[in-house]
Amino acid sequence: MPTRRDEARTSRRRAGDNGFRGTIMQGTTPRRLQGMADPLLASMVRAMGLGESPQFAARSPQVMAYVNRWLENGKHRDGAVNPSPVFPDGVAADDPVALARLIKATATELGADLVGICRLRPAMIDLGVDLPHDFVVATVVHEAYDVVIEGYAAVEEEAMRVYAEVSDIATRLAAFVRHLGYPALAHHNGGSCVQAIPVFHHAGFGELGKHGSLITEQYAAGFRPSFVTTTMPLAEDQPRSFGVQEFCLHCTICMKNCPGDAIPNEYVLTDGVKRWLTDLEKCYPYSRLRKEYCHLCVDVCPFNARPYAETYKAFMKQQRQLGYGTPKS
Amino acid sequence: MTQFYVTEVRPHGERSTVGLFYTREEAAAIVRQLESLPGKHGCRYVISTTLPTPAEGER
Repeated sequence: MPTRRDEARTSRRRAGDNGFRGTIMQGTTPRRLQGMADPLLASMVRAMGLGESPQFAARSPQVMAYVNRWLENGKHRDGAVNPSPVFPDGVAADDPVALARLIKATATELGADLVGICRLRPAMIDLGVDLPHDFVVATVVHEAYDVVIEGYAAVEEEAMRVYAEVSDIATRLAAFVRHLGYPALAHHNGGSCVQAIPVFHHAGFGELGKHGSLITEQYAAGFRPSFVTTTMPLAEDQPRSFGVQEFCLHCTICMKNCPGDAIPNEYVLTDGVKRWLTDLEKCYPYSRLRKEYCHLCVDVCPFNARPYAETYKAFMKQQRQLGYGTPKS
Repeated sequence: MTQFYVTEVRPHGERSTVGLFYTREEAAAIVRQLESLPGKHGCRYVISTTLPTPAEGER
């Protein structure tokens, strides 16, 4: 009779097996499921007498086109590895620095605003998933700040547009890596087993903020990510701090502007990183149980004042006039 | 709704918060999965209903 441990082992999912030749890494970070697969959201939706989140049920044809794009990309996350790769001049197959330079240049050419690389760690993989890769490439495309502050409908369309774009980038980048003879798997909204926050931290993009999203110097938290995991040896970027976690200890702007009062002032520590755990039971009535998307905690973050000074100032003046905690529309 | 925090206590005593869950069953299922991992051998897990605020020395 199988033991509980045996059951756990046999229920594990293995991703990116195509061309496997490395060690298996077992994921350790639980993923909060999306949509009605999320037990909390499902119970709240059912309590409203509904069968689907009002936000997901009300998506526009344009938003559905973006969703279909990443679902289509989801069919091409993995593929055959080229057995006879030819490398560009000056790039050796075993030179991590040259390969990292090539991958970053390619990702940028494909449309990425930021590209970072780090060694894959168990905490970067979903609990229950085994991934036979060693490195992860993170790519980011920013959302247009002047668009997302216009209101909930604009936020949703812009967010989904960028999600579709980053899914294109990861799909093509993974195919490029496989063309160079290394296994590679794309991770995006159409299918992922990579945890964004620890990857971002180690790839040197920035730091986790009080609102629960990673903050970069270039785009604050107004961006969407995708990833490629691979066995290709790549030079790593390093974590970097520009004072976000310390700043968030004393800043309360996202807390005060959150319509659901869902952002706590107290934090916990995960692997030494401060995490302010958003109370999803308070967040979902605004972010999932209305027809419109919510993005307010990210929009009011003072780190937007660096890249978007004038727009941020005008938006915050408007928020002050409306009153803290007032939704945009 | 009661909130359930899962904390990982590592062999040398370091504590790391795994996450926040909204049913004890969900939290317990996560603990079972973590306990099954060879890489987590020697770790123990605590499910609490209060925020696992870091101690003074850990902040």
